[in-house]
Amino acid sequence: MAAGAAPAVSDADVVERVLEGDVEAYGVLVERYRAAFGRFAVGLCGDADLAADAMQEAFIRAFDALATCERPDRFGAWFHRILRNQCVNHRTRRRPHELLDEVQVAAPHRTDERLRRAEIRAAIQRAIDELTREQREAFVLRHLEGRPYGEMADLLGEREDTLRTRVHRARDLVRRRLEGLL
Amino acid sequence: MRSLLVVCGLVLGLGPGPAVAQDRDVRRELAARGAPSAFIGPVGMLVDRARLEGLPAAPLADKALEGWAKRVPPDRVAGALEQMRMRLVEARAIAVQAGVTDPPGVMVAAGAEALGRGLGADEIGTLIRSARTPEQGAIGLQVAASLAAQGLARNAAVAAVRHAYERDGGQDLFELPSALADLSGQGVSMADVAQRIMRGGGLPIPPMAGRGSGRPGNVPPGPGGRAGPKSGRRR
Amino acid sequence: MNDDAWTNDAQRFLDGDGDPPADADERARAGRFAAEVAMYAADLDVPSADLDARVLAAVRARAARRAWWRWFVRPHRLVIRPALAAAAAVVLVVLSAGVARMIGPGAPPVPAPSASGSDGVLVRFEFVAPAAHRVSLAGSFNGWNDSTLTFSHGTQAGVWTVTVALPPGEYQYLFVVDGERWIPDPTAHAQVKDEFGQTNSLLVVGPRGVVRS
Repeated sequence: MAAGAAPAVSDADVVERVLEGDVEAYGVLVERYRAAFGRFAVGLCGDADLAADAMQEAFIRAFDALATCERPDRFGAWFHRILRNQCVNHRTRRRPHELLDEVQVAAPHRTDERLRRAEIRAAIQRAIDELTREQREAFVLRHLEGRPYGEMADLLGEREDTLRTRVHRARDLVRRRLEGLL
Repeated sequence: MRSLLVVCGLVLGLGPGPAVAQDRDVRRELAARGAPSAFIGPVGMLVDRARLEGLPAAPLADKALEGWAKRVPPDRVAGALEQMRMRLVEARAIAVQAGVTDPPGVMVAAGAEALGRGLGADEIGTLIRSARTPEQGAIGLQVAASLAAQGLARNAAVAAVRHAYERDGGQDLFELPSALADLSGQGVSMADVAQRIMRGGGLPIPPMAGRGSGRPGNVPPGPGGRAGPKSGRRR
Repeated sequence: MNDDAWTNDAQRFLDGDGDPPADADERARAGRFAAEVAMYAADLDVPSADLDARVLAAVRARAARRAWWRWFVRPHRLVIRPALAAAAAVVLVVLSAGVARMIGPGAPPVPAPSASGSDGVLVRFEFVAPAAHRVSLAGSFNGWNDSTLTFSHGTQAGVWTVTVALPPGEYQYLFVVDGERWIPDPTAHAQVKDEFGQTNSLLVVGPRGVVRS
């Protein structure tokens, strides 16, 4: 799959080509949405390896079900739903206290600043873990991916004000976890 | 979508059989077969209770019919139904925990059967989570339990089903027990099959030749057709 | 100030919808929060381009397998690609029902489930009982009724047979000899407990039929 200076082909065009048998064209969608949703996957799974597994699984399932994508021009939103489900599934395989252990074990070798960074990172991770699934999704899309509420509403199929409320509550929880560290 | 339609179509064949007692009144059915009220009463109440709890009633109704057909004493049938009911409750909880918020009756029934055949909650949850749809999950549970009953190690049975989920959209799930029987008939031990599966090989689907009803000469001579020295048959 | 919750000003600011909070402490806190979360996001170990290669390898393999077995597609997406046929010796054929199959030269014919006018796969049961007067089949496919499916004598003496059309699925059953003895099928896939202290024979019928033990 070659990335070049030519104008980007639309999702709908790529889907059509793949369904006609051009399997290699699928690589365009994979690259496009790995980049677009990578943070989402890691934020939801809470673990980089699980996120990679979840994304891989999601792309494969999307390929299998590609003929059922009724709006190829909205492949992204359709794939996002598949990815969400895979992240939920993969998240259950996570061991909860890995990140904390990493901080504690590594502490003696870190400078104060790096230790503080690690503690903050761990605290944010812990806070995200404690969110409800809906809050986590909304917080990750808003803060880890920087998406505007309109786009979030489109991806998640929810109202903007609902998402706003979830993000606000999530922020409160994250703030509590960061108390004393900020 | 087509794969989903095929899977939904296969669900019609989901055991026990083509919906024998799906929504039928089990009391009426038993009465029509001559069962006495001493049998019908407690059995009917158990089936009703399960239905009220939102559990699939068909497996219980079918088991009740089986019990009467075999002339099993009513208290024994009631005991068996209660055990089944508890497994249905447990199976439903496992499905919910696996992320299926409103598990369909076929999945709960398949999960209960799988529990009865020794599959663990973790294994059942894994099969449910790995499936593309709840209906496929139900079939996967049935097939994994069948493979285990044939003598395949449980982890290999689960792995074989998961491998089949991915292969051709899981349309060959019901072929797996025949695939295992075919290998066993060729003299491959269950341990070797399990090893192969755990190495990522899955179960190969046998060709059409020789299918249908078993191979000529497979039935041992003698009265009663008692089990002969054939590998792959398990108790 | 409640240290547990953001003020409305702060929430609007963090949403990108308003000015920084008027309160100095809250403003500073909000600023640090946004910065820390942004750094957290930037530090995330996101899936790399290695993932692309793995996905493509997997989907190539699937596409190749499908080229030799069955393929269900929607009518308006069905095409014949000479280039693909040349490369993989595969021809995509459209059927009027909107169901497509991919058949390759040299690939085994796609089996159609044999049926006796209704849905189901024909499954033959065989039982050796020279001394029996009547043999029937009772199981989950007929509500364990021992009088609806009776065997007939085969060509061999003492061999009883019956053929049943069964949709793919799992079935438990027994042979019933002379209305009294319930006997397991030695060629079944497995024998399983029946909850009553006895055993049932178990057979799983696939869309292509059955291979027995």
